[in-house]
Amino acid sequence: MLVSLNWLKEYVDINIAPYDFGEILTMSGTKVETLTVVSENVANILTGKIKKIEQHPNADKLVVCTVDMGSDERVIVTAAKNVFEGAIVPVAVDGAVTANGMNIGTNDFRGILSYGMFCSIEELGMDTNLFSKEIMEGIYILPEDTPLGMDVKELLWLDDVIIDVELTANRSDCQSIIGIAKESAAALDLPIRDFEIYSTEEKNNDIADYLSVKVNSDACERYVAKVLKVKRVEPSPLWMQIKLLNSGVRPINNIVDVTNYVMLELGQPLHAFDYNSLKSKEIVVRTTDDKKMITLDDKEREINASMLMITNGSVPVAIAGVMGGVNSEITDQTSLVVLESACFYKNSVRLTSKQLGLRTEASARFEKGVDPELAGVAALRATYLLEKIGACEVVGGLIDVYPQPVKTTKLTLDTNWFNAFIGISLSEAEVAGFLKRLSFTVKSIGDGILEIEVPSYRQDIEVREDLAEEVARMFGYDNIPGTIMGGETMTGGKTPIQKYEDALKNVLVGQGYFETLTSSFTSEKRLSALNTSLSEELVRLVNPLGEENSIMRNTLIGHQLEVISLNYNRKNPSGHFFEIANTYFASAAPEELPVEEKKLVISTYGNDDYFELKGMVEILLTYSGIDNASFVAGGSDILHPGRKATIYLEDVKLGEIGEVHPAVVKNYDLPKRCYVCELSFKALYECCVTDKKFVDLPRFPASNRDLAILLKSEIPAASVENTIRINGGDILESIELFDVYTGEQIPDGYKSLAYALNFRHFERTLNDDDINPVIEKILEELKSSFDAQLRE
Amino acid sequence: MEQELKQLRDQCLADLNEVEELKTLDNVRIKYLGKKGALTIALKGMGKLSNEERPIIGKLANEIREEIEKNIIQQKQALEKKAMEAQISQEVIDVSLPGKTHRVGNLHPLNTTINELKEIFLGMGFTIEEGPEIEWTKYNFDYLNVPKEHSARDLQDTFYYKDDIVLRTQTSPVQVRVMQDRKPPLRMISPGRVYRTDEVDATHSPVFHQMEGLVIDKGITMADLKGTLDLFAKKLFGEQTKTKFRPHQFYFTEPSAEMDVTCYKCGGVGCKVCSNTGWIEVLGCGMVHPNVLKDCGIDPDVYSGFAFGMGLDRITIIKYGITDLRLLFENDLRFLSQFK
Ligand SMILES: [Zn+2]
Repeated sequence: MLVSLNWLKEYVDINIAPYDFGEILTMSGTKVETLTVVSENVANILTGKIKKIEQHPNADKLVVCTVDMGSDERVIVTAAKNVFEGAIVPVAVDGAVTANGMNIGTNDFRGILSYGMFCSIEELGMDTNLFSKEIMEGIYILPEDTPLGMDVKELLWLDDVIIDVELTANRSDCQSIIGIAKESAAALDLPIRDFEIYSTEEKNNDIADYLSVKVNSDACERYVAKVLKVKRVEPSPLWMQIKLLNSGVRPINNIVDVTNYVMLELGQPLHAFDYNSLKSKEIVVRTTDDKKMITLDDKEREINASMLMITNGSVPVAIAGVMGGVNSEITDQTSLVVLESACFYKNSVRLTSKQLGLRTEASARFEKGVDPELAGVAALRATYLLEKIGACEVVGGLIDVYPQPVKTTKLTLDTNWFNAFIGISLSEAEVAGFLKRLSFTVKSIGDGILEIEVPSYRQDIEVREDLAEEVARMFGYDNIPGTIMGGETMTGGKTPIQKYEDALKNVLVGQGYFETLTSSFTSEKRLSALNTSLSEELVRLVNPLGEENSIMRNTLIGHQLEVISLNYNRKNPSGHFFEIANTYFASAAPEELPVEEKKLVISTYGNDDYFELKGMVEILLTYSGIDNASFVAGGSDILHPGRKATIYLEDVKLGEIGEVHPAVVKNYDLPKRCYVCELSFKALYECCVTDKKFVDLPRFPASNRDLAILLKSEIPAASVENTIRINGGDILESIELFDVYTGEQIPDGYKSLAYALNFRHFERTLNDDDINPVIEKILEELKSSFDAQLRE
Repeated sequence: MEQELKQLRDQCLADLNEVEELKTLDNVRIKYLGKKGALTIALKGMGKLSNEERPIIGKLANEIREEIEKNIIQQKQALEKKAMEAQISQEVIDVSLPGKTHRVGNLHPLNTTINELKEIFLGMGFTIEEGPEIEWTKYNFDYLNVPKEHSARDLQDTFYYKDDIVLRTQTSPVQVRVMQDRKPPLRMISPGRVYRTDEVDATHSPVFHQMEGLVIDKGITMADLKGTLDLFAKKLFGEQTKTKFRPHQFYFTEPSAEMDVTCYKCGGVGCKVCSNTGWIEVLGCGMVHPNVLKDCGIDPDVYSGFAFGMGLDRITIIKYGITDLRLLFENDLRFLSQFK
């Protein structure tokens, strides 16, 4: 919100530098984003009245003006079209500086010296967006009663400082000059000046002859109306226009400007209807079945029965709290005005504004909540101004429909509790003093307990903690000390599963893998590209950001492949990646949340093969104390049918590993060969053996035997190893496959597996009589199970 | 005889001096001390000596044997030393050649940041808590004191799965779950993934990360909040870091504040990183709202506490000077590998 410092100063005597003031406002709870001078550069531009305009003797497009500068006269040559004799204009005299920093001197225009130049609003540094095209393009014509020889910097508030404040959602009362003035006065501990309103003591109630108001909805908390006779519709006075301009609002005419002025000043949105266009003597606030109406911005809006309308009894004339209708707009012909000062329920306005996609200054204020008490004062303030600027004559009487006036909130605050809560020690008087600065009514009832009455505009104050914040921010958060927490000592720390996750990541990093971070969203299209059918258990979002983000991922593989694709296409020659993240599955039971399963995904591309990735997985398994996991050929369709395995620990499926299926390679634009493994983090953790036990070192030597076995290619090495292990008995300490051979001397369709077997007894040295029978048994079993032969 | 022995000795020592290789050294030993060595043979002639001469010559012979053996050892050591020096001189390598490469990966910078934050709070006795990302609206909003009609609940702001299930918009629901499940005292942080319907740009992402913290105990004050978070800021951004607490508003806390820290880059003088303010906004915090405590079964007359929350993506970006949030989610190796 933009706040004019000059306007603020009309209410509070702010006598410190703007920057310092901004700091104080920020630290007391009104965050100042920026401080900007309207037009920093402008200097020595004065008002002057054009007395005479003559054609330039040597130039068709130039005129020579004689200008009364108050104390003297000077000649200005101009090409501007909109100047006329009698016009009062800004004159950049010799030595002046315009908004863009240009220095103005005396110039010779084809033989005639011009002692300066006339200025447009752009040259004055005012916001060109807030003026009509005609005004913007010409010389800025000032009102007839403007004094001559006056510095425009002062006249047009070009030296005003515009404070951009960020308001919190709870402080609807600060959406106005008076709101910020109250905060400023409290923060600076200064008094605040009153504003004038139209006297409520009226001689008649003629308004009854013109209008009655009915409110048929709870969403309208109060409706105040005033009727005024228009004397003339014309531009509002310069001082009013300038305050609007410095608040970022475009001046329109005296009547509309007053409604905007009061909204900016007091925070109460007002609306003015053209009485005759209402074609009715009543206003009814209600919902309607109408489908369409044209709003003041000449746009046709689709309305519906959920939206609160201001009607003339039959048709809508305004969308309550949002925008008026073009059918009751103020025009140059308007002779009677109905001034509406109402309070609409914030959620009603919010929903209407949202449905319409139309947010206005008024709706923005109502959405945050406007104090119903304000409606009456604001109507009288606007009436006062309309009369004062000569725009209207007042019709006696006021309509005020206010079924349930707001109740004052009363709270108690215990000074001792407050001090214990914040961690400071203020006296009862100090606490009371801070609250009084913020216009709370405070009464001591002894023992440090204060009885507090909350001002009606502070709808945010509900509990003692709210009061504690008020006192604390007036005292200054900066003045609260920083202390070390007392209470019980707590050990805290990571849980075993958190430690395990960290450790796995460290192992992966140590092996050269990079951790990735990918989004949780996927889509049917992205999942289908993985060559799999869509699961029934997908978590589909109601309101996704596009189809490609419409599903919560049930696998990490897709995103990992996207990472590989990106890196491959950016010419990174190889990559090793991993990520631990959640996957999501719809729950069968409707009363349960979806299931979130943490998974670990690992992937590589570049010069690696399947066994590189498998080796990584084996390191993780070893680290996890899992030494008997099996890699069984087979797995999901994401993977290459001949190069994929499912990893089991006994009956528990830990995950899948393999080369990415050529079809998926194509879909994801991947390098020809890449490898991926997805493991269930939960299963891994549940299977892991973290407590390491010491085993005595062997005292007797081991005996080594090498076996080379010839068997059919399709028999998995893991099965052979398993057979050897089972038949090796207690003395078989370890098995290592040290060679896989096909080629010369090996028949087609066969392979040779060479194993080194290590035998050891813990209590004695083994001899051939111990080992030979075992070897024989192994060979026998290999022969019967796999038709395997010992290679001599 | 004596003369003969001395001659033998001199000759042997001369022979030894001439030995240049270890393997020929043994030849000298055999030549003089071996079973058929010169000295051995000479001593065999001892029998011919008189009884007076024999012990004298015997003693001399032993001295000579010892001397020769000593000299052989010395010569051996000298030769070994020489041989080692020769070997060493041949084995000079260019130590400036590059080392054999081993791949080293690293964690994602976001998680490096999270780890750093975790360590700071673990050191203060906090636990790390996790909770569902897909969450009941009552945990994501109601128990957090968010008004029923607040716009944060709109479809424009929050991803919905069902009418009463959303993608959590903050990690605070974890705090609610912990407060409901356990008795105070509590000290916890909950880092995690959160979601809001923001379109992706240089500073926004619909998927992002937050860490919230909560302390509940008897006698916890706002001064404790300031002290704890000030300590946190100093540990994260450096000892010289100063903090500033500005009043703010959150539904979950009352009183509420935002904490700024002095800019890590310019130290508070003002620079591009801090938009010339000297300060960087880091987190929101406050005293836990009594409504929240009550709804979680904690008596606000007995217990009090504070909570804080910060955007982890933002802190990561600030910490490393990363220019675009999208880089965090892109996973280009040339980006990832910068954070070893
Ligand atoms: Zn800086």
